[in-house]
Amino acid sequence: MRKLRNILMITIAVLMVMPAFAGGSSEKASAAAGTPDDPVTIDLWFGAAVTEAGMIPDDWVGYDIIREKLGIDLNLTMLPSNESDQDVRIQAAGAADSLPDLFMVRRPVLTNLVEQGLVAEVSDCFEKMPVRTAQQYDANSIAHTTIDGEVFGFASPGAIAKNEGLLIRKDWLDNLGLEVPTTIDELLEVARAFTFNDPDGNGRNDTYGYGAFVETDATLKGYPGSRLWPIMGAYGVEGLWSFDSETAGLSIYKPEFYDFMVTLKTMCDEGIIDPNWLSYKKDDFRAAWKQGRFGIMYEQNAAYAATANYAPFDANFPDGEWIVIDAVSGPEGHAAIGAYDMNYRIYAVSQNAADAGKLDKICELLEWMSSDEGYYLCGWGQEGVNYVLDENGIPVAGDLGDNAFTGPKGQVYTQLRNMVFYNGDVELASRYPTYVTEVSGKTMSALTTLREMQAKKWTSAIGSGTMPTPNADVQRYYDQSLAEFLTGARALTPENWQAFLDQFNAIGGAAWNAEGLEKMEADGLIR
Amino acid sequence: MDIGKSGSKAPSTALSKSRLRREIARHRSVYLLALIPLIYYIIFKYVPIWNAQIAFKDFMARRGVLGSEWIGLENFRTFINSFYFWSLIRNTVMYSVGKILISLPLSIILAICVYECTRPALRKVVQTLAYLPHFLSWVIMYGILLALLAPGDGVVNDLIKLFGGQPLDFLSNVKTFPWVVLFSDAWKEMGWSAIIFIAALMGIDVSLFEAAMVEGANSWQRVRYITIPAILPVIVTVLILKLGTILDAGFNQIFMLYSPQVYSVGDIIDTWVYRQGLLEFEFGLATAVGLFKGVFGMVLVLLANWLSRKLTESSLF
Repeated sequence: MRKLRNILMITIAVLMVMPAFAGGSSEKASAAAGTPDDPVTIDLWFGAAVTEAGMIPDDWVGYDIIREKLGIDLNLTMLPSNESDQDVRIQAAGAADSLPDLFMVRRPVLTNLVEQGLVAEVSDCFEKMPVRTAQQYDANSIAHTTIDGEVFGFASPGAIAKNEGLLIRKDWLDNLGLEVPTTIDELLEVARAFTFNDPDGNGRNDTYGYGAFVETDATLKGYPGSRLWPIMGAYGVEGLWSFDSETAGLSIYKPEFYDFMVTLKTMCDEGIIDPNWLSYKKDDFRAAWKQGRFGIMYEQNAAYAATANYAPFDANFPDGEWIVIDAVSGPEGHAAIGAYDMNYRIYAVSQNAADAGKLDKICELLEWMSSDEGYYLCGWGQEGVNYVLDENGIPVAGDLGDNAFTGPKGQVYTQLRNMVFYNGDVELASRYPTYVTEVSGKTMSALTTLREMQAKKWTSAIGSGTMPTPNADVQRYYDQSLAEFLTGARALTPENWQAFLDQFNAIGGAAWNAEGLEKMEADGLIR
Repeated sequence: MDIGKSGSKAPSTALSKSRLRREIARHRSVYLLALIPLIYYIIFKYVPIWNAQIAFKDFMARRGVLGSEWIGLENFRTFINSFYFWSLIRNTVMYSVGKILISLPLSIILAICVYECTRPALRKVVQTLAYLPHFLSWVIMYGILLALLAPGDGVVNDLIKLFGGQPLDFLSNVKTFPWVVLFSDAWKEMGWSAIIFIAALMGIDVSLFEAAMVEGANSWQRVRYITIPAILPVIVTVLILKLGTILDAGFNQIFMLYSPQVYSVGDIIDTWVYRQGLLEFEFGLATAVGLFKGVFGMVLVLLANWLSRKLTESSLF
């Protein structure tokens, strides 16, 4: 009995003193030699290329190559696919002072971590990675991770800029004898016809003009989000921030923003925008256009035209056809598909890793990833196993079946590809091959669609990603107020709009705008 | 006299200690089982109390909990001075109380129905169907709710249109959103919450029902005069425990369902903490709010327990 009591007492005592060690041991592990026999361990938290496909298997040849050639024992951890979840994961690790050695992070979170002293300064690293730096890190990229004059991460090219566009159902236009709209008024007329004139001819009142969902972020896509950009573009208010010298600041302050809100409210009231748009998540929206619910939308090139994504629409509507159209112009002649920033994926090094002397090894690892060997291995897997080169030297799946880099077994070996890709021609040709659809036999190419979209009129918002973000109350007030105007909870009148702006300024909106302007001027972003 | 008292106390204490040891030894397997939850509570509930001090600090991760600077009540002031403080409190309490008012009676009714059901097969089917939603995540539930309530093609709106009404965007309308939250929670958790009441019902002496039937009591009278009084202590216990978490209105549910158009009735303390505390790296602030909620809940539990003891002679402790 006494023994049991003693065991209990010791257990409880040990548990009670655990908090003293909650931050982890501060003792440095003895430095490894960085040789195959005594490798340096590097923990890498990465953003997976194919989130649903699972983790890189333990038998990946890359582990052995990295150990043999670089003397690194690489530990990989996949970050959650959702950006908010990623942020929480990284910030929680930061709060516990247990960030991994190298990790992917978004710019607003990076700023928080830098303020906490958790991230290593890396400006000396670029010269240690000549190949990678030439390929991936230009002045804009380095500026993206520069905070108070110091560089705190490696920003690689992310999603391709201007890869979204305004699409319309050409078969519906043809059925109704309509022309492609070129002005906002024409667009609304087409949307009305798509809603009320049975464009699919099925005899049912089951279609809408415009389809969207609320897709926002804190720096570029302010509420109601980028899916409304072509309409906002007609009023010159696309993008959360305006970098134009005459109207620099938050776009919400432009008088035209009110005009845009009136137009969007009209669309809501007339029912010519899919009424589910405020409730849709991204997947619901995508399922909806594939089911033929609406005939005008703003969509990403691959989400629309890549093989697997277009297939359901092709099966449902073999005669259906979407086309990419020009931005429609507004009453003052404004027109833009949307606002674009340079997209980057930032990888940062924890201060703990730098203190442990791992920075040089991390540079070696990144440089190897951008070598031919690392580039193809991380991007497509093993030649002959996961890919073959076609006559143009482009990696293709060939007849490798499930093991191909596009197949269910092979794609897990390409989970690190976003760390090596830089949107080069080989990547794009390989990623977006031309193909013939299964049901209708159309020839499709997400790359052709991308080039079409990029050729349209866009507004530069370069630098948005580095702009300050508001606190939760200001952000809520901004989003909630606009939503209330659109849903009719608050009447959209000039007086109410002014009252909204006044209150917005009072609770911190004006300070946010001033901080943004200061940032724009300091970084030379005003054009 | 005093000596005598103390002299009699010592053997009595020794005796009770010895008896306690014997009891523990006899039921050691039960005590060992209890050790598992005890360790859980120590690790996950008591150990973190140490870290709660960051509520009073300008927490800097590199400096750690001990090294961060004390800032007194600054984090609490930030929360209380938030532009939406009263709105957050109102929404949180509204959902917590609403869930108690709706889910608790429904759980009791379901438990009584299941208990009174005389067909075992039907009882099992109903129980299984009622438990099932508890195991679905709120992500799945959101998909189901969207299919039911979407203004364009939701089943409910189809019915509304069929009868000539105007479709409603239940998830984006400030008047309907709270009801969606409350009833979807009741739907999801009613079956699971009923388990404890069914267990209590199983403990009622069957002879009471037999005697009542002999006396000519009908079903309703048996429920009213036997069943409900018998499970009243359990109801009180559940109610008191729920009061302790009155400022936990269900983060997962609200986070999945809410959107800017319903922030005014959807934003609760936990969603605010997520946005302001976790996403903005204000862990001191997040902890301060957690502490505020915990202390507030504890006060309510103590108060409810005292009231319950006074009014019903039934209490938790």
